[in-house]
Amino acid sequence: MSQANSAMQPGSSRPIAGPRDRESFLDAQRRNRHATWRLSAVSAVAAVIMGIPLALTITPLLYAVGLMAADIVSLFTPLPAGFWQFANAIGQYGTAALVWLLQGKSSDPQTLVVGGAVLLLPGALLSAVLWRGVNALFRRSGVGGALMALKAREPNPSDLGELRLADVVQEMAIAAGLPAPRIMLIDSPASNAAAIGTSPDDARIVVSRGLIEQLSRDELEGVLAHLVASIGNGDLRIAFRVTSVFETCGLLVALINAPFGPHARRTLWRVVRYGFSPKKDEAAGAAEADALASLLTRGGEMDFDDIDTFFNSGSSKRSVLRSIRNFLLFPIFLTNATIKISLWFFSFSMLGPSIALLWRKRVYLADACAVQLTRNPDGLAEALRKLNSSYARIPGGEWASHLFLVNPRGSDRLSGTPASTPQTQVLARAWAASATAGDTPGRSGDPSLVMKEIMTTGRAAMAGDQQAMARMLAFRQTAATAFGISEAEMPSLEDLAAAQHSDMQAMRRLRDFSRRVERNQPNRERSSSKTNPSSGFAGFHPSLKRRLKRLDRMGAHVALEATDRKIWMFIAFLAVVLGPFALLALGLLVVLIGILTMTSLTFIALWMAVIHQVFVVFAHH
Amino acid sequence: MSNLSLIVIGVIAAALLIWFISVFNSLASLRVRIQNAWAEIDVQLKRRHDLIPNLVSAVRGYMEHERLTLEAVTEARSKAVAVSSATIADRVPAEAVLTAALSKLLLVAEQYPQLRAVENVQLFQEQLVSTENRIAFARQFYNDEVMKFNTAQVTFPRNLFAGMLGFSPATMFTVSESERANV
Repeated sequence: MSQANSAMQPGSSRPIAGPRDRESFLDAQRRNRHATWRLSAVSAVAAVIMGIPLALTITPLLYAVGLMAADIVSLFTPLPAGFWQFANAIGQYGTAALVWLLQGKSSDPQTLVVGGAVLLLPGALLSAVLWRGVNALFRRSGVGGALMALKAREPNPSDLGELRLADVVQEMAIAAGLPAPRIMLIDSPASNAAAIGTSPDDARIVVSRGLIEQLSRDELEGVLAHLVASIGNGDLRIAFRVTSVFETCGLLVALINAPFGPHARRTLWRVVRYGFSPKKDEAAGAAEADALASLLTRGGEMDFDDIDTFFNSGSSKRSVLRSIRNFLLFPIFLTNATIKISLWFFSFSMLGPSIALLWRKRVYLADACAVQLTRNPDGLAEALRKLNSSYARIPGGEWASHLFLVNPRGSDRLSGTPASTPQTQVLARAWAASATAGDTPGRSGDPSLVMKEIMTTGRAAMAGDQQAMARMLAFRQTAATAFGISEAEMPSLEDLAAAQHSDMQAMRRLRDFSRRVERNQPNRERSSSKTNPSSGFAGFHPSLKRRLKRLDRMGAHVALEATDRKIWMFIAFLAVVLGPFALLALGLLVVLIGILTMTSLTFIALWMAVIHQVFVVFAHH
Repeated sequence: MSNLSLIVIGVIAAALLIWFISVFNSLASLRVRIQNAWAEIDVQLKRRHDLIPNLVSAVRGYMEHERLTLEAVTEARSKAVAVSSATIADRVPAEAVLTAALSKLLLVAEQYPQLRAVENVQLFQEQLVSTENRIAFARQFYNDEVMKFNTAQVTFPRNLFAGMLGFSPATMFTVSESERANV
């Protein structure tokens, strides 16, 4: 409650003036459901647009492979003349379409349509087949498999909090008319929850112990109603579909990279092995599926450097053979670069944001359904407020962060107090441990308050307060023990003070210190680079403020801070000034991708012609 | 020409038939959902009946002074069990009395600070709260489904055919004021 109260203090926030338009939860559900339909249409269109340059770059590669195979076969047994006529026709149609694209020279529409089909269809077909394959491969594990492998347990019915959790889940399932999902309890001080699985029938709810301790029964009901409603709405399948699109992109990149490096080959091998693995150990299988999904999604984000290392490996010692090889394989390098750039660009600017917005609508929809289940919007609103200002990261859930109730990164807060990280919690404990009889006891309940206390004492110590100085020195000692480093490595008071006056060297020393501390943490979480599948510039989690606003409309009593008009004016100003530049940059990137696509097309066409000629000459001899 | 008009008529008839089938199916599935929701209420009421003896014996030792309240609960339960095979309308009063007796028991348990500290009693309270919640949520779900079903029947153009297809509005599960006050 302390966070909520501090956010509701008079002066710091006030209710929005004027009439508020109320909305029944049924209306809110209908609105959000329609919005998700619209956004899925937009996402589908974005996926198709993203597919065009992809198909254009992959198709010639497929033709090249086919042609080479045909050439090799015809060395031994001559292929029928019909085959070569067919290949010739395909080449001519393709060239006609290409010429039209490059120079705008029009031939008759029929040729263009056939040419377009010749250029687009094989690549599109391959992507579609891969997508189906990915769907079939990962269907049995659904989403959130990494969480499945965590050390989770069933709630213990003789523990009050855990009994309450189990009861609330049962109640919410009854309220939603669904089979009760299984509960996986994680003994972690973080407070967050997620729904994982494939369908309402085998869904699980992951809850961390911190959530039980922090929330009241009403708030717990709101949180679990949200998760159960999300399961009932079929969000698990939507999340699965969403990730499968990104996984397909990663698989494509891995396929193209496979001849050049061990990294991509290893990934492919893992995919194949997973496909044939026995289906006994469900949890391990799900975890492997999730690891693969994460690997593939990153593959789509230019994470495979195999081909670059392959081409750069020759730069240290220049051998003729190697440069010939590089010259011969250059078209593939170009294709790879084109695919990576266009994947990155389109998923960043179109597909990612539209899918992220779609997912946000699903979250709002689940919120509205939760209100219907509990008929108590206050419970969910209060819970969201609490969870957003506490530490919410569950290890193993970084990649699937969009499945969680609140953003595990805890990036948006209403009150402006920093979310308590393990570091601040350790500091708070150290501060309490350093307290002697004469000092004010540390308020260990709220790490952010403790941090403020530390800062004030530090300032007093700098100003010459002997007692404060003694306290700070004691604190320095306990904190060093808590972090597991020697006292000499702790930053000195002078550094802290200098850093506050933005002294560059002191700041650097502090940064070094925090890095060292992070290294020493036993369960150090990975950096944020693998949190979401490429969401572009829009996050998957709607901001707390927007969720609260919608709950407020459905009758929750939340004191919303009035929107700061200055910030909005600033944003509008920025948009007006920078908008044209951003549009220009986007346009330039599209042009660049177009040029790259065309160049790779042309190069591969040339490459094919040369190789084919070599084979023909070779065959004649 | 007659051929063409025949085809047109056939297409329209097929479309109408398909529409009829879809209306019938959606209404029928809603009706099944209502029946399920009703069965769920039944399950939860039965669960409460089964739970009460255990709960009462678990706290009897701590609540010697409140024997009357406990007896009221036991009595209300046996009355509710006695009519448990009757129709809904007949069961509602007995269950309402039981609900009232249980909420009084909860209230009484709240009044003893020393009781609240006992872990067993806390677990007992939680179970009681959850039992009551489950019944309330099952009822809420039933009423929501009834509302969906009835809305589907009275909206145009289905209202023209719903009766013809053999559907009639379902009744909500409400507890009248007199029953609520009957404590």
